Amino acid sequence: MKKIQVFDPALCCSTGVCGVDVDQALINFSADLDWAKQNGASIERFNLAQQPMAFADNPTVKTFLELSGQEALPLILLDGATVLTGRYPSRAELARWADITLAEAEPKTSKGCCSGKSCC
Amino acid sequence: MLFLEQPPRFLFFTGKGGVGKTSIACATAITLAHCGKRVLLVSTDPASNVGQVFGITIGNQITSITAVERLFALEIDPQAAAEVYRERIVGPVRGKLPESIVKSIEEQLSGACTTEIAAFDEFTSLLTYSTLNSGYDHIIFDTAPTGHTIRLLQLPGAWSNFIEEGKGDASCLGPLSGLVKQRAQYKEAVEALADPLRTRLVLVSRAQEATLREVARTCKELAAIGISQQYLVINGILPGSEAEQDVLGKAIVNREQAALAAMPDILKSLPCDYVALKPFNLVGLDALHLLFAKNIPQLMPEVDQPISIDAPNLSALVDEIAANSHGLIMFMGKGGVGKTTLAAAVALELANRGLPTHLTTTDPAAHLTDTLTGAVKNLAVSRIDPDGETERYREQVLKTKGTQLDSEGLALLKEDLRSPCTEEIAVFQAFSRVIREADKQFVVVDTAPTGHTLLLLDATGAYHREVSRQAGDNGLLELTPMMQLQDPKQTRVLLVTLAETTPVLEALNLQEDLRRAGIEPWAWIINNSVAAAEPHSPLLKQRAYNELSEIDAVAHHHATRYAVVPLLMEEPVGRECLSELIHA
Repeated sequence: MKKIQVFDPALCCSTGVCGVDVDQALINFSADLDWAKQNGASIERFNLAQQPMAFADNPTVKTFLELSGQEALPLILLDGATVLTGRYPSRAELARWADITLAEAEPKTSKGCCSGKSCC
Repeated sequence: MLFLEQPPRFLFFTGKGGVGKTSIACATAITLAHCGKRVLLVSTDPASNVGQVFGITIGNQITSITAVERLFALEIDPQAAAEVYRERIVGPVRGKLPESIVKSIEEQLSGACTTEIAAFDEFTSLLTYSTLNSGYDHIIFDTAPTGHTIRLLQLPGAWSNFIEEGKGDASCLGPLSGLVKQRAQYKEAVEALADPLRTRLVLVSRAQEATLREVARTCKELAAIGISQQYLVINGILPGSEAEQDVLGKAIVNREQAALAAMPDILKSLPCDYVALKPFNLVGLDALHLLFAKNIPQLMPEVDQPISIDAPNLSALVDEIAANSHGLIMFMGKGGVGKTTLAAAVALELANRGLPTHLTTTDPAAHLTDTLTGAVKNLAVSRIDPDGETERYREQVLKTKGTQLDSEGLALLKEDLRSPCTEEIAVFQAFSRVIREADKQFVVVDTAPTGHTLLLLDATGAYHREVSRQAGDNGLLELTPMMQLQDPKQTRVLLVTLAETTPVLEALNLQEDLRRAGIEPWAWIINNSVAAAEPHSPLLKQRAYNELSEIDAVAHHHATRYAVVPLLMEEPVGRECLSELIHA
């Protein structure tokens, strides 16, 4: 199975320091991510503020950061290759990468956007 | 002293900076050691002078105080503890990731919550490890964790995702993925804190209305999480005898007595001790020994020369501000130093000079703004209610983010929204609507966000700008509040402090924090100075004398420009009194 890795910008905390404008894109993505996981996708998520080593240890991510800066995050890798930068993927994109057929997989209510490795 | 009667194993002293927690904790430790108990004194005061008090170097290890039998001491530096945590996360990526990124991660780990939890982490083992604390009958702490920290540590949601896995959701605990101890140990420490048989909490205050109000808030908050055995100490009361010798002394005595009479009800129900202001510095064993004494022997080293200082007053600062026709003037400082009063005085003076001015305050009592509203030409007054703004902000976040959370996650989010940072952000958002007016007139604000908050807000601002740019929305490319605050032509930040060790140190920390955000405080104001009031009574003269070295340090080391405002006979409310502040 293909592995999806999401490298988030430094999203700090659920207090909303990072959510001065609560970001609907992030909320949607968290729900989509949960959906994809429930349909068997292999997805890892890393937050720059809390797991910086994951960024430093991956040459692709490290080079991306050096060239584009953290403002250009998020960065999404598929089996180690860059597939998307600067925005979060849609549910359709996730499905395509993870070989999930959209029609089969009925969207389910997500358990929580913050149960992942990053805050929302 | 009531709080010294049948003391339990652990004694915590809490109160805002400058009320004398460390002195009282030291005197308590000496008293108990003299009674034959083995005592460990733990200081987490960043300005810890415990070593100086006993004339030895202590530092971050338990040190025997040879001058007092059975007494041991330990100094924990919370800043250093937080630094260790930061380094544990940031150290491995330094040099591997771009410098700007390393900096932004460091900033996330530089908040007040990080420092507080780091300090708590340091002394957790003293509350639980029997091998470490079994040698002592009493352990005395000159500080206590806030209700917010304790509640966070009590929440299962704070642990399940984050700390045990070492990653996951962030919260005020979030940055501390370096928390080294096990959940069980924190749980035990929190239980020890809430157990009246083991722990007594002593609230330390001064006989001042604002300080008492703040202490009442702390009291309520700690009682709500089960810390019910609380005592109150009112420190530094000016004895009635001073009123006979000095008009200023008389005014202070009256004011203090009025504040005590109007003490919030929740405090009136606590066992309360009163400690009189002493005519000597609380350094050295003899002095500390006398802190709780009823009758002080006549050993006071009287200050014989009259005290007077040659320092600029507020009107010199206003002259410089008034040279422009507009701008943002922000007052910054810890609670209770008089920011609202000074902001009102400066705004009134600008208006009196014919300059259109908008004063906006967080004054909880509103009596000050009431006396000015509509009364003065060129002056508009508005008020922001911090509690109301924070509540609105909380509800908005809960409505938008809370719906997707499970019950543990929701409890954690709710607690995060009770953090001091949240209030600061909510208030700043409310102010940011007003500060846009500062390009046409003067806007005077009695509070300012810390550099830490600005940096965090700006980081997200930058991120959101990027997102909207890519989405093709160019509407957001205006000046951010951060950029307005960094420009010395547009914004002047005035740091307010008192001429005492801890308040000056706290102001210095605020200054460092602002500098990190690229903001240079424009001036310092030393408020309520006894020295500037040129007192006559021996006690007040001694206090005035003690202020001199602090004023000197501000004037020559900390500030680029400064002003000293004397302690006035009456609480400065109303137009005449406020004008008096400017020209005094």
